Amino acid sequence: MLIDSNAYIGHWPFLKLEYNTPEALLGRMQEFGTDVSVISNLNGIFYKNTQHANEELRDAIRSKRAYRDRFIPFAVINPIYGGWRDDFETCATTMGMKGVRLYPQYHGYDIAALPCIELVKMCRDKGLPVAFCLRMVDSRTSSWMDLDKEWTLKNIVPIVKAVPDAKYMIVNVAGSMALSGEEMSLFRKADLLMDSSGRSMTNWSDLLKQFGTGKFCFGTHSPILDYFSGLLRIESLRKNEADEHTKELLRSGNIKGLLGS
Amino acid sequence: MNIDRRKFVTRGAAGMAGMLIGGSLTGKSAAGIPAAAATPASGPQPYDLMKEVMQYRKIDTHAHIYWTDDSPETQLDYGRRLGIDRQVISRYLDVMPGTPDQFRKFNDLTIKAIKKYPDHLIGGFVLNPVYKQESLDEIKRCTDAGMVGPGELYYQVKINDPRYYPVIEKLIDLKMIIHSHGECQLGVGGYRMKYNGHKQPNTSIPEDFVAIARRYPEGIFQYAHIGMGGDWEYECKLFRDCPNIYVDTSGSNNAENMIDFAVEHLGEDRLFFASDNSYYQGVGKILAANLTERQKQKIFFDNYNNLLKKGGRGVD
Repeated sequence: MLIDSNAYIGHWPFLKLEYNTPEALLGRMQEFGTDVSVISNLNGIFYKNTQHANEELRDAIRSKRAYRDRFIPFAVINPIYGGWRDDFETCATTMGMKGVRLYPQYHGYDIAALPCIELVKMCRDKGLPVAFCLRMVDSRTSSWMDLDKEWTLKNIVPIVKAVPDAKYMIVNVAGSMALSGEEMSLFRKADLLMDSSGRSMTNWSDLLKQFGTGKFCFGTHSPILDYFSGLLRIESLRKNEADEHTKELLRSGNIKGLLGS
Repeated sequence: MNIDRRKFVTRGAAGMAGMLIGGSLTGKSAAGIPAAAATPASGPQPYDLMKEVMQYRKIDTHAHIYWTDDSPETQLDYGRRLGIDRQVISRYLDVMPGTPDQFRKFNDLTIKAIKKYPDHLIGGFVLNPVYKQESLDEIKRCTDAGMVGPGELYYQVKINDPRYYPVIEKLIDLKMIIHSHGECQLGVGGYRMKYNGHKQPNTSIPEDFVAIARRYPEGIFQYAHIGMGGDWEYECKLFRDCPNIYVDTSGSNNAENMIDFAVEHLGEDRLFFASDNSYYQGVGKILAANLTERQKQKIFFDNYNNLLKKGGRGVD
């Protein structure tokens, strides 16, 4: 089974995206053998009131049985915007969102700010993963109106330290993965997954040894990144680097555990 | 649309997704988005990704070796992993001022590598046209050593600087592909058109390539790495009417639709597959694109090899 842990619908204001509708994404999944995709709405990064984006996502998924069968929705919540607690509750219950995407850089708060910590604890209490993206797009080629600073793995440390028993997803790991011994220990103990879409996911043999085979999962970052490379990193692993059991963990086992347990 | 790939996707009732969503994932709080009551109508056919990767012969037209002990073996290992037959390697001249002693030393590293792995590594030389005669002499020395043309020429001098003219004319005489670094990103070329202090002021930008390509229409220019973080839409639009500018697809940025856009604007004959050592993205972005089998063959291998053949340096 193959589960894409990191896909989107919606628009990016500075670049015309292909495959950014539910139907187009489903086409990519059919083409490359993906059974299920975790998706959120890119529009939620740019709407001040992110709940509109969550409603759009809900409506889109409701509109067709195949979408309901194949998409797992994550909400976008901004914990410094009015009414966010109600939004979260609605997303987690009425809308059936299975996780939350947070964008501290785009929404303008510190990852260890109290509202963020509060939201992550609320997710923890409901068993919902919280996903952070180290970069949405390559800052070198992005618009002059976009962020100019990308995150590294270290930027995630403060929230994991603040709420070590939450579930985390870190996607598009494109920057440095260097951690201190203490930070590495924190990450290894945490219920945390990194997806395979980021450019730093290069030396898998070492990464699997360093972080453990339970810390990674398949992700495309589609439709921003190409649909192929994230899976190529997993499928090109040699037997002496990852046996079939490990590959299955990467394809779906680890993300199933994070989402379902 | 990739018909060949899509024709495999029909599968009968694929219960996997339905089982997943209908089970633990929706069990807690899915009132708003109903769980699949039954199996979905169709799911994906298992897709043999590595079979597709390995079925194409590939020349990586832009790769590098390093001074480290594990180079070029590490690069060769990525090649074996991803079915890359040959890599055009160079040790780009990332030093200033880039004296003849420096570029000879850099080229010696490449010569050593291609002598050791002649079946898998193709050599590209570097030079600095500030030193005209030494550069021309280095072209001869490296060509005699088996190199096929310049590797990634770097930022010492802009590609359209008059100091490049004698070098370019020599390369044209030798029917070599003129491969140069180029950038088009915030702070370097492109819409902001300024150098921001992190980049050498003589870094070539797309406009420089257009200028030199128009001055030498008989030259064959390889614009390096449309995936290096440059604005690939800007680059491809600018090069549309310059038939003697080819782009290599390398770089760590594997934006979806980059290759489709490049083919749409430049045509399927003006793209060279390359990694710039971002091997996964290099292969992935080509195979994610909606290309025909023939287009993939051309980009992975034939486009570049056909130009090598013009100079009698083709790979068989």
